[in-house]
Parts: sequence; C-alpha cells; structure tokens
Amino acid sequence: MTAKERVASVFAGEKTDRPACFSGLGNVTTAGLEKLGYKFAEVHLDSRQMAEAAVSTPKLFGFDCAVVPFDLCVEAEAIGCEINTYAHTEDLFYPTIKEKVIHSEDEMDLSMPADVAEKGRVPLVCEAIGLAKEELKGEVPVGSYVLGPFTLAGQIMELNDLLKLSFKKPDKVEALLDKLADVIIAVLKRYEKAGIDYLTVREMGATSDVLSPRIFKKLILPNLKKIFAEITVPSVNHICGKTNPIVGAMVEAGADAISVDQRNEIIKTREELGPDALVFGNYDPFNVLVSGTPELVEQTINKCLDDGVSAVWPGCDIWPTVPPRNFEAMMDAVRNYAR
Amino acid sequence: MATEERKQEILENLKNAVIEYDEDTAREWAQIALDEGLKANDAIFDGLVTGMEEVGRLFEEEEYFVPELLMCADALYAGLDILRPHVEQLDLGVRGSVVIGTVEGDVHDIGKNIVKMMFDVAGFTVYDLGRDVPLDKFVEEQLRTDSDLVCLSAMMTTTMSGMEKVIHDLKEKNPDCIIMIGGAPASQDIADKWGADGYAADASNALKDAIDMVSSLKRLKQEAEAE
Ligand code: B12
Repeated sequence: MTAKERVASVFAGEKTDRPACFSGLGNVTTAGLEKLGYKFAEVHLDSRQMAEAAVSTPKLFGFDCAVVPFDLCVEAEAIGCEINTYAHTEDLFYPTIKEKVIHSEDEMDLSMPADVAEKGRVPLVCEAIGLAKEELKGEVPVGSYVLGPFTLAGQIMELNDLLKLSFKKPDKVEALLDKLADVIIAVLKRYEKAGIDYLTVREMGATSDVLSPRIFKKLILPNLKKIFAEITVPSVNHICGKTNPIVGAMVEAGADAISVDQRNEIIKTREELGPDALVFGNYDPFNVLVSGTPELVEQTINKCLDDGVSAVWPGCDIWPTVPPRNFEAMMDAVRNYAR
Repeated sequence: MATEERKQEILENLKNAVIEYDEDTAREWAQIALDEGLKANDAIFDGLVTGMEEVGRLFEEEEYFVPELLMCADALYAGLDILRPHVEQLDLGVRGSVVIGTVEGDVHDIGKNIVKMMFDVAGFTVYDLGRDVPLDKFVEEQLRTDSDLVCLSAMMTTTMSGMEKVIHDLKEKNPDCIIMIGGAPASQDIADKWGADGYAADASNALKDAIDMVSSLKRLKQEAEAE
C-alpha cells in the first residue's frame, strides 16, 4: 500500500497493511531542514521552501503524510495581525503574533475582511500544498490544519480577557466565535481547492487544562459543528490535555476522526466510543519522541496500538529536533506491529 | 466596632465574593469592613486571601478552571484596591518584589499569569514583563527595580534554553538576586544545572519557596549589616 492508500483506508474504516503513522499537525524536522539547507525562520514565508520542508519528513523517514503550514498564525494574519518569525535568530523559534487586532471588549465586533482567504499567507500555503502534492506524486497524502474559533480568538485578542469574557459576556464571545468560524471555513475551502487530502481542526486553546468540559460543550462545540459540516475532505478534530471527559462531545462535533494527546486514556475512550470510532493518538511528541530512547519510542508506540488507537499520531506538533534514530524507531515499531 | 459575630460575617462575605468571583460584592464588603472598623489586614488575609486559598483548592480538584481562577483574582483585586490604602504594612514576615515574564519566543503565559497572581495576593510588588520577553529585558528590569526575585517562565524546550543566558547575566551583574524558573519543560535538575535558585512545579509551591528564599536572604543581609 502507498501511504496515501493507507491513510485513505484508515479514514474509510478499512483494513490496512500496517498501522498508519501520520499526523495532521506540524511535523517538519531539523534533520530535514539541514538536508535542504533551510532556516526554520524562513520556511514559513516561501511556498517552495515550505513544501520541500514538509515533504522532507515522509522522504527521510517514510512518514505517512506531509503537512503544511508549521505555525498557528496563518488565519490571524489573514484577519490583519502582524507576525514575528524571529528572523534574527538561528534558534528554533515558532512564529508568534506581534500585535493583536482586538485590544478591548469594545473591539470584539471587528469586521472580518471579505476576501479573507486571499489575505496574508493563505495563498502561499495553498501554493505549498500544490507543490507538495506534485513532489509526492500521489503516493503520500498532503494534509493541512486550521485553528478552531476559540484558539483563533486567543490569537487575535488577549487570551486572559477571552477566558474571562466567556463567563461574563458569553453573547459577545459567541458572536465573535461565530464570525471566526466563517473565516476558518473560508480558509479551509481554499485549502480544499488547493488539493489537501485531509484536514485537522486544532482547538488547543480550549484544552481541558484551561477550559471546563461544561464551557466546552456550551461555547466551543456549536462552532466546531458548524465547521465540520462544511468540510468535504476527511477531517480530524484535535484537542490536547485531559480529554477523556469530552471525547463524546468531540465526536459529536462531526469530524471523521478525533485526535487526542498522551493524557487521554485510550482504553477508556475506546470503551466509551466503541470499536468503529476513529481515534488518532496519542504518543508524547516531546518527552517520548525527542527526549526518549528508541526503546521508549518502541514501547510507547506499541502501547498506543495495544490500547486501541486507529492510527499512530502525535499528541501535538512533532518537535523539529527529534533525533532521526527515534523517528526511525517509531516507523520500525509500526512496521513490526502484528495486529 | 463590629461584634465578633459580625466580624465573622464580614470575613465570610469577603471570602465568598472571591470564590464566587463577584467583584461588586467584594468591593461592597471591603467597604463595609472599613466602615465597621475591621482591620484592613484582617479583611485581606482572613477574608479575601482565605477565599483565594479555597479557589486554589477548587482549581486543583478541577472544579474550577483557568477562567474561574482569573475572575476570582479580579474579585480579590477589587477588594484589595479598597483595603490597601488602609494597610500600614502588609506584614507577611517578608515584603518582596519580583520581576516576572515568559522568555523570548514563547507566548504561553497562562501559567505565568497564575504565578504572578499568587505573588500579588501575598503582597509582593510585581513587575510583569508579559510574554515573549527579550532576554536582556529581564536583566534591565531587575537592575532598574532592584527586585529580590526574578521569575522566568517557559513552556517550550527551545525557549527554555534562553533562561540559561538570563540566569548567567543576572548572576554576573547581581549575585544576590534570587532566580526562580518554571513551566512545563523546566525541572529541579535544570534549575540546578543552570544555577537558578529555585524551581516549582506549580504556582502555590512557587510562592512558598519564594517566601522562604526571600526571608532567608533578608536575614542574611541583616546579619551582615549587624556585624
Ligand atoms: C494553551 C497552549 C497554547 C496556546 C497559548 C496561549 C497562551 N496565551 O498561553 C497557543 C495556542 C497560542 C499555543 C501555541 C503554541 N504551542 Co502550545 N500549548 C498550550 C497547552 C495546551 C497548555 C499550556 C497551559 O497554559 N497550561 C495550563 C497552565 C496553568 O499550566 P503551566 O503553563 O504549566 O503553568 C503552571 C506551572 O508550569 C507553573 N509555572 C509556570 N510558569 C512558572 C514560572 C515559575 C518561575 C514557576 C516557579 C512556576 C511556573 O505554575 C503554573 C500554574 O500552576 C500546552 C500543552 C500542555 N498541556 O502543557 C501546549 C504546548 C506548551 N504548546 C506546544 C507547542 C509546540 C506550541 C506551538 C509551537 C505550536 C505551533 N505549531 O506553533 C505554539 C508556540 C507559539 C510560541 N512561539 O510560543 C508544546 C511545547 C512542546 C515543547 N515541549 O517544547 C506543548 C507542550 C504541547 C505539546 N504537548 O507538545 N499553545
């Protein structure tokens, strides 16, 4: 099976030759960047570099996907925020928002650009999607991601304020989230047109480390439903943290699969959701993949599969400094895993 | 002068205003406390702060989450604003000042804000530099304010490495300054390796350790001056 067939089979709920090992979140590696001679700070700003960097992960390690972009600022930038790529440093710094566009509660009725999917780096990411597809010749799927409305709101206004207003002025927050859901839909439609094979929605700002399951169901779920109803490619709903109390709600949001991190107890999730639900996860991309030994990587991957994940998939972005031998150990583990 | 019973009632209302994150009620009862002759110190520590301690417990038990915590802090601040002018000195055994921020390249500031709140509650003077703070800024701010403590937060492994430089530069310029680090990737081992004076896994331990360190530093200073 090619990686593309394998991932398509996973989404279709069909059998695969071996467990799929892929991600819907960033997975560029320093090993890949070094080989290409690219600087991390620059790959966000050039479609060819972005595509090549994304493609280097499946090429080097046989990973079952390539994913663009690598940062969480694309939608916020399209709305009008400026970003910082830390061009002055050789260190590995992820882009961040320099200046938020909503400074106070009164500015929450900000109107969104009409042609938001043509703004900022959205066209650049689309180009990168096209280039990555060309490069991978239909053998490896190309994925992308968008933020969930709450996480996006946290990028364009002060998160502290957003969190408090979720209680104090839920109407205002709901109105903003609704508008942001439309922005997200416009962007993801553009990615679909560019040819992505699957899409992940990342609502990590609404993780259960930060927000209660009650607020999640009230404030976050309705907009996630609205978004997933519009997605036509296979879709994944990603939330990190202690997600066990909300896996039911995550499925209810309407994605084809849910993605959870290492703090989810997959055995319980499986019991709750039944054998057919697609649950992706749930190894720790930092403490296992980057700082663990190859033995720990192998044990962890086997445990994910024993516990019942539908595909081996990281709890968050794969941190670029992953040692190649650990990445190889992960791929070996999925190849050797006997169902 | 309020009766003992009335005093308890006032304190109870201050406490509940914090727990129920009700800023108006906190203000109202803070004023009542002053009007009826309670000591501002008692109203703060036996009312507002007791409420915040309960909030900390509710947070640990996952009854409360981050928004609730932030709102409770606002209620506490609201009461504090009214009571503070009437306090001679917030006597905790120590009065400290702290520079706090999330290091350059890192915008994760939820945890930092919680730690900051603990210091506020305890009566420390807090200089909050925010998030994504250029490394030199920590040193500049410490020198400008002559703070007892510098607290560095990082949530990513790479940005955490910036702490090493800050610790080095600070210790070089001002060996007396106490440095604490925290955030998910930090650990006691890393604090030891880089020469930070403290590490804490959560906000309440951060405060306890900070108070211990500031007190012993002040004691040392006093002893040195006495000699
Ligand atoms: C919310 C979140 C975000 C939000 C941040 C919003 C904000 N304003 O803070 C957003 C969506 C913006 C975000 C962005 C990113 N994130 Co993020 N994020 C998280 C998440 C889910 C929760 C963090 C949190 O707030 N926890 C709750 C608070 C209360 O806990 P805490 O911060 O640990 O604080 C406590 C203690 O640590 C301690 N403490 C904290 N500071 C200090 C300081 C001192 C002195 C002391 C003593 C104690 C102390 O006390 C606090 C209270 O008890 C974590 C995963 C996780 N569960 O940790 C990932 C995580 C931190 N993010 C991660 C990543 C990779 C990213 C991105 C790079 C993703 C991307 N592709 O761009 C970007 C980075 C952008 C940047 N350059 O900074 C990784 C970091 C991996 C690593 N080890 O390096 C994590 C760990 C997820 C993961 N499992 O991989 N993220």
